[in-house]
Amino acid sequence: MGSITNSAGSFFNRSLAQMADLRAGIERTRTQIATGRKIERGSQDPAAAAQLRSVSRREALAQVEGDNAARLGQDLGAAAGEVQAVTELLQRARELAVQAASTATGSDGRRAIAFELEQLQQELFTRSNAVSLTGEPLFAGQSTGTAFTRDALGNVTYAGTPDSGAVPVAPGTEIERGLPGNEVFEFDLGGTPSSAFAVLGTLVSALQGGAPDPVAAANASLAGIDAALDTTNRAVTILGTRMAWVEQVEDQQADRKVALAERRSRVGDTDIADAIARLQQSLTALEASQSAFARVSSLTLFDALR
Amino acid sequence: MPTAIFTIARSGLTATRRSLELTAQNVANAENPDYSRRILTQGELVMTGNIGNNAQDSLGGVKPGVIERAESSLVQRQARDSASALAAAEAEFFAMKEAESALETSGVYTGLVDFEAALTRLQNNPTEPALRLSALEAGRKMAGNFRIANGTLANARGLVQAETSAKTLTVNERAAELAKINADLVGAREGTAGRAALLDARDKALRGLAEEFGINPTINANGTADVMLNGAPPVALVTGAVAQPLATSFAADGTVSFTVGGTPFVPAGGGMAGRANALAEMADLQASLDSLAVSAITLSNTAQANGVGNDGNPGAAFFSGTGAGSITMVLASADGLATAPAGAGPGSRDTANLAAFITALGDPSGPITGTDSLLLSLSSRVSALETRTEGLSVVAASAEAELLRETGVDLDTEAANLIRLQQAFEANSRVIQVAAELFDTVLELR
Repeated sequence: MGSITNSAGSFFNRSLAQMADLRAGIERTRTQIATGRKIERGSQDPAAAAQLRSVSRREALAQVEGDNAARLGQDLGAAAGEVQAVTELLQRARELAVQAASTATGSDGRRAIAFELEQLQQELFTRSNAVSLTGEPLFAGQSTGTAFTRDALGNVTYAGTPDSGAVPVAPGTEIERGLPGNEVFEFDLGGTPSSAFAVLGTLVSALQGGAPDPVAAANASLAGIDAALDTTNRAVTILGTRMAWVEQVEDQQADRKVALAERRSRVGDTDIADAIARLQQSLTALEASQSAFARVSSLTLFDALR
Repeated sequence: MPTAIFTIARSGLTATRRSLELTAQNVANAENPDYSRRILTQGELVMTGNIGNNAQDSLGGVKPGVIERAESSLVQRQARDSASALAAAEAEFFAMKEAESALETSGVYTGLVDFEAALTRLQNNPTEPALRLSALEAGRKMAGNFRIANGTLANARGLVQAETSAKTLTVNERAAELAKINADLVGAREGTAGRAALLDARDKALRGLAEEFGINPTINANGTADVMLNGAPPVALVTGAVAQPLATSFAADGTVSFTVGGTPFVPAGGGMAGRANALAEMADLQASLDSLAVSAITLSNTAQANGVGNDGNPGAAFFSGTGAGSITMVLASADGLATAPAGAGPGSRDTANLAAFITALGDPSGPITGTDSLLLSLSSRVSALETRTEGLSVVAASAEAELLRETGVDLDTEAANLIRLQQAFEANSRVIQVAAELFDTVLELR
């Protein structure tokens, strides 16, 4: 018996296996097109799957950092708005102090000035305890209680912490949440610690008749008001700089988001044009293979025998 | 002698008819993978009589010989060994693929990343109840995902174990079958169709055994096969008509061990070895998953112990449990989340402790990176197994094709045989007709 035979079973097995391979390839390409994902399981491309994991982690954190930055920007904006209002208030107080220091202003006039200054002092206290959109005190540092408290005598003291804490807005970047109240309203006057509240309070009581020489007292208060203005101006500058920083970080975050999305797409998304071309190619191959199989499988001697 | 012509033609008819029967048998079994094609050997029949120095030959036609079965023990062995290697790789690949999807789809990694993100968001405003609650729930989800991963991995392991048990029964059945075939073969006469069928059954049983274990069969002169299972140490499964029972047992960590006739051994090929490897790898995976869960538990509880909650009290434990299966969130309220460092007092917005926790969680030695590298190593392993399986399946397919080429039925050859035998049959019939005419001629002599 001849040793070279072409076994019928072998021919059918081979043909079926080849067609099954083609069909599996087509199925995979079709899934890639339908889901838009190049990888269904990590083992199809372990390195790409690991990259996708780290990209998705980065994306999740970037999303949170973006939200953090946006809220930080709002809080800083609110604080800056308050400090700006405080600055205008202190400027008005200075004008009033200058008027009070003028001898032309009579005692009635000084009382009126004292009345307005009292209102200003009240507003100053309210603004120092301003809260953010979510109800957190703006100037209390890391404390959730009110920033400044007033005792029965009208003395205002800082109740917050000296540090306001930082918020992470980007990998390795943390921005201070705001300014603690002691850096906005308290300052050093001629070697002794003082505050905007104290300066205004002293002036008011002097003008209300608490001082023998209200003109001199008003003159003396000018240095204190100037120091308070310096402090708030500095605070506005600091807050403005931080807001600019937050904006810059937000710009970078937007750029990074695009970069991450691009990277995700490059690593994990199906290239539709390529996939469709491959699908077409595989379909053609499968059809050709099927018709070839049909023709070849009918080529046995039995078909020739009649 | 006309009678001799009759006898000769009749022997030709018989031999041809039997060859035709075999051809029909071959064609009928063309698609039977366990069938080896047969041929009928033939021998010339010459009778010689001697009286003194006078020798007289008498032609007797043809003698149908024995049924020969196309056989190639080398190719059989190649096909068996490659099928064995393929079965090992395939069993391991499918099992590990199951484990891979179990760990990937359970979302352990996503749960950890979401937990990290929720904690990072909390840094923005640590006293906001909504953010605290969302961090707490992210922790609950993370713990839940660990438990899901544990469950799906256990599921995958259970499937492999069930398959191992089922295949143990199959192996025992096949071994018993082979032992019975061996017993029958001893009594079967050489050259008969019955013996050829028994040999087919023997090779089929050997191939079946080779799918589950790497085997080293010895084919004896009488056609019986003794089977040694490859492994450490090699053990005899079938000797003559005796089959040793195979038994499997599972350890607490899910790994499997085998005994044959009471002798423990470690298989070195076939689907059983693949499944044993997969179970060992799954035990490692389970250990890694447990240690990741323990790392998440320890980091969280340490951070809690180091700080104070919104109420100013020291943080209580975040999670309880000793592994991926038992990790549970036990922190009662969102206020108990220790964001502030110890001594910060109630209502503090200090996030130093929270920041330290996030850093520890995201550290290269922490559970997030750990999960990432676990998934990477697992998917690389599965990818390597897939490549190996593909390679081995090509080898096995070509060995199978080679085997079919050696032993399978070629329909063209059979068709040609059919014509040839048909012609031979007609020719022999014609011889009978000629003999009859010769006889009539003699009888009609006047």
